[in-house]
Amino acid sequence: MAVTIATGAVKTKREGTLGYLLPALLLIAFFFIVPVLMLLMRSVLEPEVGLQNYEALLGSTTYLRVFVNTFMVAGVVTIVSIVIGYPVAWLLAIMPEKWSRIVLAIIILSMWTNLLARTYAWMVLLQRTGVINKTLMRLGLIDQPLALVNNLVGVTIGMTYIMLPFVILPLMGVIRTIDPAILRAAALCGAGKMQCFLRVLLPLSLPGIAAGALMVFVMSLGYFVTPALLGGTSNMMLAELVAQFVQSLVNWGMGGAAALVLLVVTLALYAVQLRYFNSARGK
Amino acid sequence: MLLDFDKLGGLRTFLIALVVLVCVFLILPIVFIAALSFGSSQWLIFPPPSWTFKWYQDLFADPRWFYSALTSLKIAAIVTVFSVVIGFLAALGLDRGRFTGRDFLRALFLTPMILPVVVLAVALYALFLKLGLAGTTIAFVIAHLLIALPFSIISIGNALEGFDRSIEDAAILCGASPWEARLRVTVPAVSHGIFGAAVFSFLASWDEVVLAIFMASPTLQTLPVKIWTTLRQDLTPVIAAASTLLIAFTILLMIVAALFRKGRKA
Repeated sequence: MAVTIATGAVKTKREGTLGYLLPALLLIAFFFIVPVLMLLMRSVLEPEVGLQNYEALLGSTTYLRVFVNTFMVAGVVTIVSIVIGYPVAWLLAIMPEKWSRIVLAIIILSMWTNLLARTYAWMVLLQRTGVINKTLMRLGLIDQPLALVNNLVGVTIGMTYIMLPFVILPLMGVIRTIDPAILRAAALCGAGKMQCFLRVLLPLSLPGIAAGALMVFVMSLGYFVTPALLGGTSNMMLAELVAQFVQSLVNWGMGGAAALVLLVVTLALYAVQLRYFNSARGK
Repeated sequence: MLLDFDKLGGLRTFLIALVVLVCVFLILPIVFIAALSFGSSQWLIFPPPSWTFKWYQDLFADPRWFYSALTSLKIAAIVTVFSVVIGFLAALGLDRGRFTGRDFLRALFLTPMILPVVVLAVALYALFLKLGLAGTTIAFVIAHLLIALPFSIISIGNALEGFDRSIEDAAILCGASPWEARLRVTVPAVSHGIFGAAVFSFLASWDEVVLAIFMASPTLQTLPVKIWTTLRQDLTPVIAAASTLLIAFTILLMIVAALFRKGRKA
């Protein structure tokens, strides 16, 4: 009896939790939803009502190149990040803690270092007279300096550098949850190392790989800073195109259209991820 | 077998070699920039012909660098305060509220984090042009608050999830008002989440480039904008000096965070 009265009192005193959400909700509504919708509206309203901006965007080879660049770079960065990141995450998950702590500190340091500082470092490292070209020439591997910057090669290297931690850290978490006894059992049953890897470890870590790959792909698609600095002007990606329409060309209609394309692709992939995870959890 | 570190056999050597290589790859640019900032070569030749503090002197001699750092600090500090307060309230509302659409609302609050930031930047730029706020501190704070808030909601939300609510109820039963209970019982109990929220919010604003490029005006620039505009002109070693200071700042933050975590465990 006393308890019910008491909890009742607590309950009445605690009413109105929805009010707590109000500041965040107002912020998101006025400065996120409204401006994004306004921008997208402009793509069908400016310079006149109609779909001409989308026709121009999707019908021209110049812009087609931008789309191809964007998807190609995002795809290559994703694949390279997974191929390099998976073994690293694997060893990190099982190595003695005193070592893994050092490796983790290095990964986090690189992740937390200012993005522009990291990109600047790659601009310097990859330039024609940079350390990488100099070293390769001294080793006699090349005669002429390679063009590593102001092209998509530079963008891919710089982006892989940035994305690698985003693959390693979640994958490490996934591999840590796999019971080593399962792999011991597979080995006891006569499976070789290759078979153990391909038929036990890899399938068990697949949800982590898929999630990491999707995240890196989505992040790469919308990346602006690194492609703009390492790619040069002739190798544009989608995010740069959005910025260019607005900043240099002051063409809000085309800018809005390009933003919509980027937004739709991102949200669609995000929806895939949500669905994939929900079904994976459902099992 | 494959998950037993001691039984990997030859595979272990291969994996260790790969991890060492990746570590070198990750640390190389950072070390390299720090070294070049003390090198005398204008064209960033490595190894540098001799060592110098010239670039640091240039950096400190130009007041624009100092002012942009000050602007960054000011904006990041304001963003941190708002992000933690609004984030705490929102996390509390999401944690306590039992209403339909809660998951949707949570996802909505986190969306600015996953959307391409350039879209948000362009959209906000258009809005602030219309409102006459373009190039103001308010515009900067609002833009950065949008991307800092998700970090606060996640960090404080996780802490609240691990907090036993009946402790707060007990305080209320003992005569505390709900807000008294929250401020004197709940807030201290989730202080690690609040600390995390503050650090991430600060960094989100301090390091942010894309929104900042669109929010900046010739008279109002944050440090990343200053680096960006300088980088677009040339690769001067002054940027290496600025970057090195930023890296030192990052390491300092990591140490503080590690000490804080250690202190909490003890």
